[in-house]
Amino acid sequence: MRFLPHTDTDRTAMLETIGAANMSDLFADIPSEFHIEQGSLNIADALSEAGIVRKFTKAAEKNRNATNTRYFLGGGTYHHFVPAVVDYIISRGEFLTAYTPYQPEIAQGTLQALFEFQTMIARLTGMDVSNASMYEAATATAEAALMARRITRKNRVVMAGSVNPRYRSVTSNYLSRLEGEYVEVEMGHSGTNLGTDLDKVIASIDEKTACVIVQYPDFYGSVYDLAPLRAACDAAKCLMVVAFSDISAFALIESPGAMGADIAVGSGQSLGIPMGFGGPHLGLFTCKQKFLRQMPGRVCGLTNDADGKRGFVLTLSTREQHIRREKATSNICSNQGLMCTAAATYMTQMGDAGLATVARHSAAALQSLVSQLPDHVTAASGAHYNETVLSFANCEARDRFLAAARDKDMFAGIPLEKIDVSAESHHLLVATTEMVEAEDINDYLTMLEVAK
Amino acid sequence: MSSGDTTFKYSGTVGMQHEEPLLFEHAHEAPESINLPGVDGDISAELSAFSRKQAANIPGLSEPETVRHFVRLSQWNHGIETGFYPLGSCTMKYNPRVNEQVVRLPGLAHIHPDQPEETAQGVLELMYELQGWLGDVSGLPHVTLQPAAGAHGELAGLMMIRAALDARGQQHRRKVLVPDSAHGTNPASAALCGMHCVELKSGADGRIDLDELKAHLDDDTAALMMTNPNTAGAFESDIKEICQLVHDAGGFVYGDGANLNALVGVARPGDMGIDCLHINVHKTFSTPHGGGGPGGGPVAVNDILAPYLPVPRIEKHGDSFTLAYNCDTSVGPVLGTPGQIGVYLRANAYISAFGRQHLHRIAEDAVLNANYILHRLKDRYHVPFEGLCKHECLLTDEIQNRHGVKTLDIAKRLIDLGFHPMTVYFPLIVHGAMLIEPTETESRETLDAFCDAMLEIADACEAGDTEALHEAPLKPFRRRLDETQAARKPVLVWPE
Repeated sequence: MRFLPHTDTDRTAMLETIGAANMSDLFADIPSEFHIEQGSLNIADALSEAGIVRKFTKAAEKNRNATNTRYFLGGGTYHHFVPAVVDYIISRGEFLTAYTPYQPEIAQGTLQALFEFQTMIARLTGMDVSNASMYEAATATAEAALMARRITRKNRVVMAGSVNPRYRSVTSNYLSRLEGEYVEVEMGHSGTNLGTDLDKVIASIDEKTACVIVQYPDFYGSVYDLAPLRAACDAAKCLMVVAFSDISAFALIESPGAMGADIAVGSGQSLGIPMGFGGPHLGLFTCKQKFLRQMPGRVCGLTNDADGKRGFVLTLSTREQHIRREKATSNICSNQGLMCTAAATYMTQMGDAGLATVARHSAAALQSLVSQLPDHVTAASGAHYNETVLSFANCEARDRFLAAARDKDMFAGIPLEKIDVSAESHHLLVATTEMVEAEDINDYLTMLEVAK
Repeated sequence: MSSGDTTFKYSGTVGMQHEEPLLFEHAHEAPESINLPGVDGDISAELSAFSRKQAANIPGLSEPETVRHFVRLSQWNHGIETGFYPLGSCTMKYNPRVNEQVVRLPGLAHIHPDQPEETAQGVLELMYELQGWLGDVSGLPHVTLQPAAGAHGELAGLMMIRAALDARGQQHRRKVLVPDSAHGTNPASAALCGMHCVELKSGADGRIDLDELKAHLDDDTAALMMTNPNTAGAFESDIKEICQLVHDAGGFVYGDGANLNALVGVARPGDMGIDCLHINVHKTFSTPHGGGGPGGGPVAVNDILAPYLPVPRIEKHGDSFTLAYNCDTSVGPVLGTPGQIGVYLRANAYISAFGRQHLHRIAEDAVLNANYILHRLKDRYHVPFEGLCKHECLLTDEIQNRHGVKTLDIAKRLIDLGFHPMTVYFPLIVHGAMLIEPTETESRETLDAFCDAMLEIADACEAGDTEALHEAPLKPFRRRLDETQAARKPVLVWPE
């Protein structure tokens, strides 16, 4: 077995050092009734390295993917361009095969990359501080609700119905075993105006409310002004939590911080991380400076070493499970460390200018599509970044179009009810990125003919 | 070498040692923007009204500078590819390169979780296969791949236990028994699941004390959370009786699978009476730790808990695979995506390499290596609990304490001698714990070198030659870092 360095001579000599006659002596403390016969498990036969490559290649060939299909899919996962250097850097064994940096003297590489990551995420979201990642956006949203409860010592959470339904269901699930109230504000899917009805959200706030969670841009891609919500939160002394799905937006439109968010959480998958069928992605967690001691997860901080040289350590660990146990701010231990390094590399490679181009191209592609729609397909009204909802005459027309698009190597959108189960079945959630070319939009529009 | 040191003034590198500035300190105008594809058109007037007024101030480097910056940073890291990494309870084993290769196949990397299922059958098939294997390895046939890490698996497992108790009309059972040797995530997860913990004091042998357990089992008990082998590296030989006691009291036994590496292919937690087990695939099944993650915490359960598994579930109907969301009894989703798919692909590849024929050799060599280290060091370091260890061995600093040397000193001195330290001050049940886990992928040569280094430290203590120990580490480019300062005035971002 190529991953095991010992020869049988080694094993014999080592057993002798230990004073054991054979390998099974080493397992004598496990009651014999629980020993299983070697080779008795129902697992496939061992494969050579070549066999593994063959097996995975065969499986991969069964999946349509972004090298042979045009993607107009979003809903929390986006097909943005990933520069080669990102994958190169996170493939380096020193980053890839390191543990959590508990011994900072020999983990300054990971730590400095985390510090740079935290800084850039804070700047892009317009927030004061960032942690060193959560699993993904839905659990980050749930953690934001828990954090708001701790800060305000109130336990009512208001969730806008225009937040990604998956973030909503995970948050509601997390809160359902704790005391307190969870309120989802239904938006009412009237006509083509799927989006956030901020008046309704504001009307749901009361003095017991710990936080209000909205998504910006919202699940339907809608971009709207959060100033009225900020004022309402101030009046009710509750926190404003802003979730987001595609952080690339904030190189173009006002950041959650500028909109007054107390906590901003979401996905960093757009920052150099492939779609990967949903994971591993990157959960982001940012907040105002004054709340940082209630933040969940790991954070990296600046300090000096014994010689006065600058260095970095994991800090504020008294919030964490290994110290506080039952009273920790979160149970999170392993996070998405390597994805932070990927995102840091991506942002460094892009810079302000590159990030702005990604955002502008993503938005321009949507605008190009929406502005040329035929009469039998309508787009939601109002400002949208790179995602919107198209409405067809009926479900059949939509599905006819989806099938035709697939035949021309295009995934033209996600049937809205697949994610938003309450939605009517003639809607299509469509997302664009800089990977969409003008030609793809022309093809898209041509194929819409079948939806007539 | 002081902070005013000008040694690195020209290139940041002297004799292969780097002083790489922060990205934000690479002071020059942003280079020409990277060439990007896409539609170079106008954005809508409505959207323009929301334009960001102040740039984010993300510096941006050219491609060669980006690569050099991060490659230099990487060289400040110790990884499993650089050297021995005997962190107890962390299972730092070699991460096969072929696994990295196959997960990057476009048909596995560049696929969307919401593309039509019939266009993603290949990835679903690999996930379904892994579920089955994990069920078989654990002896708990029903598996969810939703949880993103071990702690997340604990939460999902406790949700299922709670749901099963509620279904029995036992909403009052909210007490979770946790040994004092447990990982900190156990009580933290229980709290998040709306349950409360009672700590069980370990017996004199570091194992669960049956009398202590009996004394705390009652009608309010929801579960016992246990790690087996425990965090002292010892197998809980009373496992059958422990599970029987908990079951008789109407509770469930939750297994923390952090230490599954000791059992894989040799014995199955499900056979022993464990009802529910999370598996850290980033430990047992060799998915890279990545400097903190991503991990993967699938949970395997028995028939009783199966109805409560989270959604979506990966199911097979006829010849096709599907992500099933509809299930009335499910505890619901715990993640917004189908899971850490890339991590699970690697786990599948790792199990594939060993196959049915060789899987047990993981546990065998892991246990052999830990016992070998234990036997080479046991006369010079205090062993708190006598007997066989499993995949990791526990020592303390009791002998070295007599010479004024603490566990932290020993750990930091190991850095100077060329090794990553072991896990220190965990488990909490002994003073000055040093938990050493070599894993199965280390050679005898490496184990001997590590033991020799440990013996040199023991010698130095006995000779009273302890200055280097207190000062350590002296060799890396940073010495002990001031954690108090970092926490007192936290600086988490670089000021603009």
